[in-house]
Amino acid sequence: MEEATQMSPSTQTPVVSCADVTRQYTRGSSSRFSRRSHPTVTALDEVSVDIYPGEFVGIAGPSGSGKSTLLHLLAGLDTPTGGDVTLAGTETTGLSEQRRARLRLAHVGIVFQHFYLLPSISARSNVALPLVEEGIGTATRREKAVELLEEVGLADRTEHKPGQLSGGEQQRVAIARALVTDPSVLIADEPTGELDTATGEQIIRMLNRHTDGRAVIVASHDEQVLEQTDRVIRLRDGQVENDG
Amino acid sequence: MGRRHRYVGILRLAVSRLWGRLRQGDGRQLLVSILGVAIAIMVMVTVGGVALGLTSQSAIQGEDVDYWIVPEDRTASSIAVSVDSAQLGGTHAVSERLNRNPEVAYATPVLLQVLQVNAPTSNTSEYLIVAGVIPGEEDREILGTSTAPLTPGDPHYANGSYDGPWTGEVVASGAAAELLELEEGDAVTFPRQQSNRTLHVENVSAGSYTTGAGPLPVVLMHQSELQTMTDSTNGDPADQILVSTTRAGVKSQLEDLYPRTTVIAKGGVAGQEVSTSSLPVAIAVTALLTAVVVGTLFVATMMGLELHANRRRLAVLTTIGYQTRSRAFLVVAETFILTLCGTVCGILLGIGGIQLTNLLAEQYLGVQSVALFDLRLVLAAGIVATIIAVSASLYPVWLTRRTDVLEVLG
Repeated sequence: MEEATQMSPSTQTPVVSCADVTRQYTRGSSSRFSRRSHPTVTALDEVSVDIYPGEFVGIAGPSGSGKSTLLHLLAGLDTPTGGDVTLAGTETTGLSEQRRARLRLAHVGIVFQHFYLLPSISARSNVALPLVEEGIGTATRREKAVELLEEVGLADRTEHKPGQLSGGEQQRVAIARALVTDPSVLIADEPTGELDTATGEQIIRMLNRHTDGRAVIVASHDEQVLEQTDRVIRLRDGQVENDG
Repeated sequence: MGRRHRYVGILRLAVSRLWGRLRQGDGRQLLVSILGVAIAIMVMVTVGGVALGLTSQSAIQGEDVDYWIVPEDRTASSIAVSVDSAQLGGTHAVSERLNRNPEVAYATPVLLQVLQVNAPTSNTSEYLIVAGVIPGEEDREILGTSTAPLTPGDPHYANGSYDGPWTGEVVASGAAAELLELEEGDAVTFPRQQSNRTLHVENVSAGSYTTGAGPLPVVLMHQSELQTMTDSTNGDPADQILVSTTRAGVKSQLEDLYPRTTVIAKGGVAGQEVSTSSLPVAIAVTALLTAVVVGTLFVATMMGLELHANRRRLAVLTTIGYQTRSRAFLVVAETFILTLCGTVCGILLGIGGIQLTNLLAEQYLGVQSVALFDLRLVLAAGIVATIIAVSASLYPVWLTRRTDVLEVLG
């Protein structure tokens, strides 16, 4: 980790990069029987970004600036209509949903503003969800999930259901779930949006602690959150306004 | 190994998710799915039980009879009550020929009549099933009634002259004796038959032939004496010939005995009565199809609503990196688990339904049992449940594939 953070980004290979990426959406009905032409909306317009291992990157911008679209593209949840997105050395443009799912499982951890934990299973089972898909055995899954929950300070909450946890605790469970496969990129979309200031700070500190050898990308409106990142990419009207 | 762990893990996830939702009281749609399958299976088991009960009423042969020969246009369900149906002719000669065959242990024609029987001692009369048979040297049971008290052979037949000795012997089944308050030695008459011949109860048989409608009131007597009293000596008719044998090859010989007859082998319900009786089969098939359609619609609709309400769960799994087939497997596993729960409940409710049907039948119709429970109904329920689960999985799996992550999670 030390080695990664001390190395100049220019000497490293980016873990995720966008090259002239454009994403357009068609508004209105997409019925195959409709002959009407529908207006297109450009959410991202020729955006180029390289993000390196060990970086803690903030993405900022007003609503509608393209933050979420950029995060979705970086996470491999969406594909661009123009340009290329490369995730862990693999170009996602043109990849099937199956291959992108495999890529996400291996290289990406995602944390959402609303946590999105499965409410009817325990915190431990929620953390272990990615390991199920990886085909890891029950004992190892249990061991790794408990280890991660201990790491985020929830050793005494492993068997609690999400409904029995506070917002901050639920977000920590979500971070543990995102980290359990040891991804190369951790993406967090407004991770403090549902939390009070003190808890939000704890969460950001926790994310900051997990940049060892991986890139952590946080989208936020909150300048206090952005201040704690190494680099902020500011978007406006689908274009990079500032990167530094 | 990894793949096995993955699918076992998803299966465990399905179980714990469903269990968690039911425990949290957040599973109304899940409960409705279980209830839907339970109702469908209950209806199938209950109606199937009634069909089995109806089928069992049609079996009139004794336990030791291996085949019975019946006219082609008759079925096992129609031979218990013979009214103006096709009959077999020359039956004494045929049964005599069969009895000479070393592969045949015993053969007898059976002439069946529903007659009003009067017991002067108790001054009661009832309509009973009167069976005319040719008793052998050994004790046989026909319609659950022993032939041993009857004089062996058929003395009155006298090679077709019908002027041999008149025995006047009848054996009453327990149910018949109870109805007419008969005891050994009591006289009985057939008041509606123009005959001045006398009959007496040679014995009251301890056994009885119990069907879905309860024990049958039966009177056994010599065939020629029944033919004489019912004025049906012309052509020596009988409704069927019962044949007891130790060799399976005899069946083909029996089939050659009479043109346009059916030889029915003794066997289980599926092998015998069902195949020759259309009404119970129709009832059972209707129940089965109803169960499949109702169960499938219930589960598919409820699982569809459930998935629609919980699209976020599938979307989260997609973002984590779950493949389409893993998500589909999760949905199919949940559908199968719900169907299994519904099936177990349905079988238990179905057994209750059979008990209730019989209780009501006894109370309002006076028959002891209309429906029967058989383990084959459980097998049928299992097959129906599998069909329901497979059919009902298609819609949720289709919904799974259509879930748009970006639309659901924003």
